[in-house]
Amino acid sequence: MQLWFHNENTYPFVPKEVLDAADSVRASLPGRLLDPKIAADLFHECMDESLLCDDVGINIVSIEHHSGINSLYGASPIILGALARQTRNVRILSQGTLISLRNDPVRVAEEYATADVMLRGRLDIGFVKSGDSEMASNNANPVGNLERFWEAIDLITAALKNQDGPMRWEGKHYAHRHINLWPRPYQQPHPPMWAATGDPDTSRELGRRGMVNSVVLRGIEGTKRAWNAYREARVEAGLPEAPLDRFAYAAFVYVGDTDEEGIEVGSKLLWFLNTSLKQAPQFSKFLPGRMPAEMAPQVYRTKPRPGETRVARPADGLIGMTAEQAIQRQIMFAGNPDTVFKQIMAAYDALGGFGHLIFIGRSGYLTHMEAEKGIRMLAKEVLPRVREATRG
Amino acid sequence: MKTERLTVHGIDLEVFRGGSGDPIVLLHGMRSLSADARFPALLSAHGAVTAPSLPGFGDTARPKDFDTIYDLVHLTRAILDAVPGGDITLVGLSFGGWIAAEVAAGGHPRLKRLVLVDPVGIKISDRQTADILDVFNRSPAEVRAAEWHNPDRYAPDFDEMEDGGIIRHARDWDALCLYGWHPYLYNPRLKDWLGRIAVPTLVVWGESDGIVTPVYGRAFAGLIPGARFETIANAGHHPDVEQPEELTRSIAAFVGG
Repeated sequence: MQLWFHNENTYPFVPKEVLDAADSVRASLPGRLLDPKIAADLFHECMDESLLCDDVGINIVSIEHHSGINSLYGASPIILGALARQTRNVRILSQGTLISLRNDPVRVAEEYATADVMLRGRLDIGFVKSGDSEMASNNANPVGNLERFWEAIDLITAALKNQDGPMRWEGKHYAHRHINLWPRPYQQPHPPMWAATGDPDTSRELGRRGMVNSVVLRGIEGTKRAWNAYREARVEAGLPEAPLDRFAYAAFVYVGDTDEEGIEVGSKLLWFLNTSLKQAPQFSKFLPGRMPAEMAPQVYRTKPRPGETRVARPADGLIGMTAEQAIQRQIMFAGNPDTVFKQIMAAYDALGGFGHLIFIGRSGYLTHMEAEKGIRMLAKEVLPRVREATRG
Repeated sequence: MKTERLTVHGIDLEVFRGGSGDPIVLLHGMRSLSADARFPALLSAHGAVTAPSLPGFGDTARPKDFDTIYDLVHLTRAILDAVPGGDITLVGLSFGGWIAAEVAAGGHPRLKRLVLVDPVGIKISDRQTADILDVFNRSPAEVRAAEWHNPDRYAPDFDEMEDGGIIRHARDWDALCLYGWHPYLYNPRLKDWLGRIAVPTLVVWGESDGIVTPVYGRAFAGLIPGARFETIANAGHHPDVEQPEELTRSIAAFVGG
């Protein structure tokens, strides 16, 4: 099993009363609430945590989110570039530039090809659909987002594979007269491709394409739904069974010397759920194109009608969770090394195995020192046991 | 009004029809109309009203890849070709006013008169000032206050609406966003072509409209040769809902005069 460190570089230092009064902690908080000196420290701490991962054999996820306390990694290719130069050993998964928000996928392909060359082939490319407040932050039409997502993936893939001089693209959303990447990617025909989704329909398409399906914070049942769809689609298409390295499970993880320490420090990661998800209704429940219109009655109404079963969006069920609940739902593994090993293996067994574990190892008020300790403990005390137990 | 189906250019449209006499084509605004809406019924006393739900709105399915203003303008021209009778009065509300203005700027052989009610579609102010309140980017409370003169009486209350009405509302919202997201509810070039409108035009505006204000309305009307500009008191962005009698009176006077 491969282990991946995921850190969104959160900015928790906005006063609680400001966050409580704001209708949205993403997209709309005034920039004056951010201290660039603190942000600089955070960027360098997070880079150091990635370099520690490089030393101890844990791969790194480089993410992108926009204009909120949940992440300072809006300019994701810049972070990827720094990692490409600074790391020496492990693989880097860019998961990823939010392609349906960018007007020119060819430029994204160029960035990825450059990073892959600098990394001498250590790049994995992950695609994320985005949504919600990022549609406003990036001026991207929320209706048709998925259509742009797939066309952009097709275009990026074609651009990376092309070695025969200028090629043309005249699609529905993108048109380009002269696509000819220099440098072309290091890996042939292109770096491995992933996408993050818990949506079964999207997983089905990933299955047909044979891309890695990472599922973030959906727990066992939500992850099963996605991966079952992935596997079914392959059967329907007459494709061979997907190996376990096509599946990535993502959870909060913190390893302490004791269970008490693991849970106490690990529970700080839940700031991400409890504080950083709040979005204004125009960016969430009323955002066009976000759900089929048939779901609108239960989402638009402020209270359910008698007998109505509510289908909340995945993130809604995560807000206000305690460490115990997160562990019980298997979206957090926390405790001493033995406890965390058992928690990981329980999830592994419940899901019929997976080839990648993405661990969110820093968020909110969890400090740089705590994050580094968690990384070291995981690499030294847990990873060898997990590798041994999942070998073969 | 009767709910019927009309096939135009192979597209199956929901249409509301009523009245007799000279044809009136009514294009809905940000939300589709309904069979029991007051304004189309009042208007049908003055002509044969055909009010289609544009693709994606109401109960009209949107064909694959039909997703631009260009599509809507061509479809509307095809609708004008298809309605029975003689010369046509084209009435456009809000978003439908934009489509109607585009059609009229291009000209149509059967177009006799144009009525625009709180239309969107052009850009007037400087580049850091929005003319049209961004309904997809501002809080629902702010939009509600800007949209209606009397929101407590007229704004949709989802807790009181039946499922069908909410689903219809959500479909309308998705369609409006698809067509109007960028640039937000305007065509940067339309302003320069409004001068081509060659039929008598009435521009009507709700005095309390905070989505697009009467100042924008006067500027809009000023770009159309000979256009008459009128305001309606105690109405926001939807005079057809808040003051249907007044709006009908205004249109009837224009058509009759």
